Amino acid sequence: MPIEIPKDKWPGSIKTVTIGATSTEGGTRAKSISVGGQASMPYLHYEAPMPNKPVIAIEIKSRKPDDWSPLLVEAWGEAMAEPAQWAKKAEEAGADIIVVALTLADSPEDAVRVVKSVLSATGLPLIVWGPGQVEKDNELLVPVSEATNGEKIVLGICEDKNYRTIVATAMANGHLVQARTPMDVNLSKQLNILISDMGMPKDRILMDPTTGALGYGIEYGYSVMERLRLAALQGDAMTQLPMIVTPGYEAWKTKESKIGEGVPEGWGDWKARAINWETLTAIALVESGADIVVLRHPESVKRVKAAIEELVTI
Amino acid sequence: MALAGIQIYKLLPQTNCKECGFPTCLAFAMKLAAKQVELSACPYVSDASKKQLAESAAPPIRLITLKAGSDVKAGNEVVMFRHEKSFYNKTGLFIRVKASDPELAKKVTAADAYKVNYVGMDFSIDGFAIEADGDLTAAVKTIRTVSKRPLILMTKDAALLDSSLSLLAGESALIYTADASNYEPLADLAKKYKAALVVKADSLDALADLTKNIQAKGLEDMVLDLGGRNMGEWLARSTQVRKLAIKSNLRALGYPVIAFPCDAKDEGVAAAQAIAKYAGFVVLSEFKPELLYPLLVLRENIYTDPQKPIQVQPGIYEINSPKPESPVLVTTNFSITYFSVANEVEGSGLPAWLVVTDAEGMSVLTAWAAGKFDAERIAKAIQTFDVASKVSKKRIVLPGHVAVLSGELEEELPDWEIRVGPREAVDLPAFMKQALN
Amino acid sequence: MQHTVSFTHNDKQTPVEVSTGVLLSDAAQLAGLDIGLPCGGQGRCGRCAVQVTDGNVRRRSTLRLSPGDVEQGFGLACQTVVEGDVSIYIPPQEKIERRLTTDRVVAEVTVPEGYEYPSDQTVRRIHLELTPPSMDDQTDDWSRLQTALRLQANIKKVNVSLNLLQTIGDVLRIGEWNVTAVLEYPLEDLEQPVRLISLQPHHVDEYSPLWGCAIDIGTTTVSVWLVDLVSGQVRAQVAEYNGQIARGEDVISRIMYANKNGGGQELRQRVLDTINELLETACKRVKAKPEDVVKATIAGNSTMIHLLLGIPASNIRLSPFITAVNHPPLMSAGDVGIKIHPQASVDCLPGVASYVGADITAGVLSSGLDVAEDVTLFLDVGTNGETVLGNRDWLVTCACSAGPAFEGAGVVNGMRATIGAIEEVWINSDTYEPTYRVIGGGKPKGICGSGLISLLSEAFITGIIDKAGNVNLMRSSSRAREGAHGGEYVVAWGTESESGEDIVLSRVDVDNLLRAKAAIYAGFTVLADTVGIPLESVSKVLIGGSFGKYINVEKAVQIGLLPDMPWEQFDFLGNTSVRGAYYALLDWRKREQITEIAKRMTYIELSADNSFYEAFTSALFLPHTDMSKFPSVASALER
Repeated sequence: MPIEIPKDKWPGSIKTVTIGATSTEGGTRAKSISVGGQASMPYLHYEAPMPNKPVIAIEIKSRKPDDWSPLLVEAWGEAMAEPAQWAKKAEEAGADIIVVALTLADSPEDAVRVVKSVLSATGLPLIVWGPGQVEKDNELLVPVSEATNGEKIVLGICEDKNYRTIVATAMANGHLVQARTPMDVNLSKQLNILISDMGMPKDRILMDPTTGALGYGIEYGYSVMERLRLAALQGDAMTQLPMIVTPGYEAWKTKESKIGEGVPEGWGDWKARAINWETLTAIALVESGADIVVLRHPESVKRVKAAIEELVTI
Repeated sequence: MALAGIQIYKLLPQTNCKECGFPTCLAFAMKLAAKQVELSACPYVSDASKKQLAESAAPPIRLITLKAGSDVKAGNEVVMFRHEKSFYNKTGLFIRVKASDPELAKKVTAADAYKVNYVGMDFSIDGFAIEADGDLTAAVKTIRTVSKRPLILMTKDAALLDSSLSLLAGESALIYTADASNYEPLADLAKKYKAALVVKADSLDALADLTKNIQAKGLEDMVLDLGGRNMGEWLARSTQVRKLAIKSNLRALGYPVIAFPCDAKDEGVAAAQAIAKYAGFVVLSEFKPELLYPLLVLRENIYTDPQKPIQVQPGIYEINSPKPESPVLVTTNFSITYFSVANEVEGSGLPAWLVVTDAEGMSVLTAWAAGKFDAERIAKAIQTFDVASKVSKKRIVLPGHVAVLSGELEEELPDWEIRVGPREAVDLPAFMKQALN
Repeated sequence: MQHTVSFTHNDKQTPVEVSTGVLLSDAAQLAGLDIGLPCGGQGRCGRCAVQVTDGNVRRRSTLRLSPGDVEQGFGLACQTVVEGDVSIYIPPQEKIERRLTTDRVVAEVTVPEGYEYPSDQTVRRIHLELTPPSMDDQTDDWSRLQTALRLQANIKKVNVSLNLLQTIGDVLRIGEWNVTAVLEYPLEDLEQPVRLISLQPHHVDEYSPLWGCAIDIGTTTVSVWLVDLVSGQVRAQVAEYNGQIARGEDVISRIMYANKNGGGQELRQRVLDTINELLETACKRVKAKPEDVVKATIAGNSTMIHLLLGIPASNIRLSPFITAVNHPPLMSAGDVGIKIHPQASVDCLPGVASYVGADITAGVLSSGLDVAEDVTLFLDVGTNGETVLGNRDWLVTCACSAGPAFEGAGVVNGMRATIGAIEEVWINSDTYEPTYRVIGGGKPKGICGSGLISLLSEAFITGIIDKAGNVNLMRSSSRAREGAHGGEYVVAWGTESESGEDIVLSRVDVDNLLRAKAAIYAGFTVLADTVGIPLESVSKVLIGGSFGKYINVEKAVQIGLLPDMPWEQFDFLGNTSVRGAYYALLDWRKREQITEIAKRMTYIELSADNSFYEAFTSALFLPHTDMSKFPSVASALER
């Protein structure tokens, strides 16, 4: 008996957002990366083709971090001391995009120098994060934005208390922004509205709904993402943006990943468990609609990339 | 389809007789809609209404219970996305073992004993799937000497199944697997031993034909194996089956699904997808705590009731690497409250200890109003988390909204200085800079 | 080409010569006439409507005018140009307001149709002529009175208090055996005895007032109506902030305070003081004494009633939220502590649950929701945002904590809707300069609820604040400035205000207003959703609240307080609670109807799941996170 497969015909679709500009597009990137464009829930190819697959970004820091897990230090080695080297190694590990995370110790000059060095070391598009304090973010991101005019970098992280300065400089210099809100559909939408009310075109905004790691509130992020995607497909213009998530950052701050000793026996082998923690966090988010997944460990990158390949292969 | 309160109300007598224990028929209808009360509480409902209400309440996916020393349930789900209501019966995690394995007893013993704690809950595996590459009957006997968990018997050989199932009196096992060629004897066996039967076919069309034939033989307890060559195809099929059952009410596919990440390229990744995307049972290749633990946690997270207030774990949180002289801030464990406080302080770069009390997931004002955030509870949190041992300055900052608690808190914590902070989190950095120095 | 425009204003004619294409508003200015242009001549507010009685004009825009208005010759002075000799009638301002489709003015209080004293009234005044005693007739005074009551008023059983008994001997003799008795008849059981409330010497004029009072104890505002029970007329209406505010703005803080040592007693005294002062003021206005008031009907939320009666209210706050009493029995004013006639009965109307009190049952009565044919929504825009949805077949209700912002409390320059309150604001979208109207016409003292709604909406529509309520400091106007709590907007400079201080809308005020409107909006949307009634199927929205004498529906929609529905579907009823108490005071049938309403209402607990919180955060934006719910606001923003 033939079964009629129920298919949702959605009125809405996700905006296509392009990160990075090649020389013909006014930048210096070897290629640009497009995400978004979907017209169905994740990977339901029988409902609508998926024009762009999710991509992996690898997070590197402007200075060698002293609080990262030894497992990450082991994986990246000496390259961590030099952002340009680190970025190259990340590209080799399979990154589609490099995230450069600036720190509180950076001066505006440091920030510009680091970002420029990464730009010349790799042909990948960039995302640049401030250290996460209102004044410092503005102090570092504005000169970085100006010094990289036209590169279509994603600047972040915009939050409801601090978005105007970052959005203004991104608009003036042809960049994009990452808009983060704390695991709430309405707050996500509200920040997108405020940013687009400033005149920022919607195809230059990535929304970051915030997601906890596995075991640390991932279910809220997971459902918020599903709800945002459903709202977008139902035609809500203010949620029709690609989603960026940071499972690397979230997973590696948990003790399950970070710590090898003095933990319950039931947790099993440290390294395998730590990588599982990051990979499984990322997979859950990929299943719920993530477009850009920011990771830290090269092994997780490999596994998540392979999974995405399987999901997009019809 | 479930009926809304007002639709149910129209089927009730509308006399407000109160015999059901609720003040009005509408109140009773609301409770019925929320499934918090049984229709039988109304003595006057008509038979026609009863029938209509029963139809609207029938579960679209059959509940399958595997029974042994413990029960594993799958099915009875009602939504596509967990936020729409909740996912109810957690995916059963089974470990695959081989009948031929000389270390069978040892391996089963180790896996059976596995217990891991996650935020106060003990997790373990749900059962074993036995591959009949050796003497299945002997393997079943062996396993039953060391484990009482439910079993999946993986063979198509009816005679072998008969002898194995006969050893499992009083249990409900799962038989794997029936297809178009062998379903008749296997369905008979399943009926005979009150077992559930996995059915497998190459397409959903064929699968539906198969389940209908088996239904016709009088067996209702089935589980579906969807096949699929990769993660993408499996996801599409699993989504289609769920939607057909829930939205199209297709009884032929209204059964839980079983997945075999053990055969996937990346077992962990495939298992994670299966848990998130509707599998009722998952079979893993072997007992590996480093994968089992994250999967058990993922399962717990996905199957948590999303209607419960979003909470963070009560405890003492370190913000910006606090030192003993750093201030101690107090708030509740409603996640949004926690985030707004933590984010403001984190963003300011000022170090602080943030004590999150158990206020049952309510915001400061709501918790205070409900008596869940009072001096006694705050004092208890300060003591439970042993805050005194971490700080040199015994000083607590209370949220401005509960300034009234400061007096009582001084009584509860006599050697602590109680300070009243601002009402809004946004004013915390300024307060910490100006008032706390 | 030159034309003559002759204006008629206040029965005076003023002609003026202008050329083709001149705006009527400019022509009026030339003629020395003052036509108010609150929105700065942008054709937005409709306040400058004039009537063209003769001649040719061209109307650029007729926004705010119905086709009927235009047919009658109405045009907006700021949008209408002269094209020939014309005659223009400038109507008085009040007339325009009444005609504007957006404005919902609270209906006048009129005596309910068909009210008949004494048949509808439980309190009656009866003249008695007693046979004087003599040596032959040694009947005692009380029996003599009882006999007169039996023979002259057909009253078989009568009760009297000791206090009254102590005085009857004197009263009978002062009145020379002609007396006036005020009696209260039992409401339900006619076999019950009648109660003697007071006995006065001599005969009182049959048509002279017999005083009763209707009281609404709001968390923020207490209202008292003084009523002549004979004519049924409301003779004085007074209101004041509840004296308990000093001990907490919301019911929860009050309950907490009452739990402390002596706190309950203090709160009880505070609200009694407020009520007694109001009664005194009201009585003074009609030259009566509070002791002349012989009946009181009280509406109020459950907490307020508990606190008034000195009943511990702590269980209202704690799960499972149980009141001590939903329907208090009749009590005497002396026992309650209300300073009217000590024997007057005090009738606290019945409530439904902890958070749905007699204010709502009374509100439902006065709104007529319980007899409505179509599905109707009733919103009480008060400190506890209560909502009732239903019709004559079913009623559901919920409550949410909205805070006192719409009553002008908890807002830096907020005040009650009384003399000196800014009740409406318009802001020019080019200059950001405001125009406002003050109750009583004098210097402004502050802003009342309707003024706050109007101000918030104007600040939003003109871009002074963004959708999240942040004041936009990048504007050229000095009125948008950095204040003590973030950005603020100056509505009136110190030079214009009564106090000499600037009157501002601060960031904190905006937050309070946003929270209040979001709670109310979330309340009724979740309620409708829970019972499965789409908002579109609601045929009428009735609004109660004590934030002014009128509400501008358009503004309330623009801030997302009210749903975006055609304006004619809204009705503003003012303080429905005190009005309900007034109906119950007059007519015992209405009084019984309230008891019925209380029995019929189904209370829905909003905090049962996350849906209220979701709806609340979604509404915590201007006008709402989901703009598709507010198409009229979207198009207003595009303009």
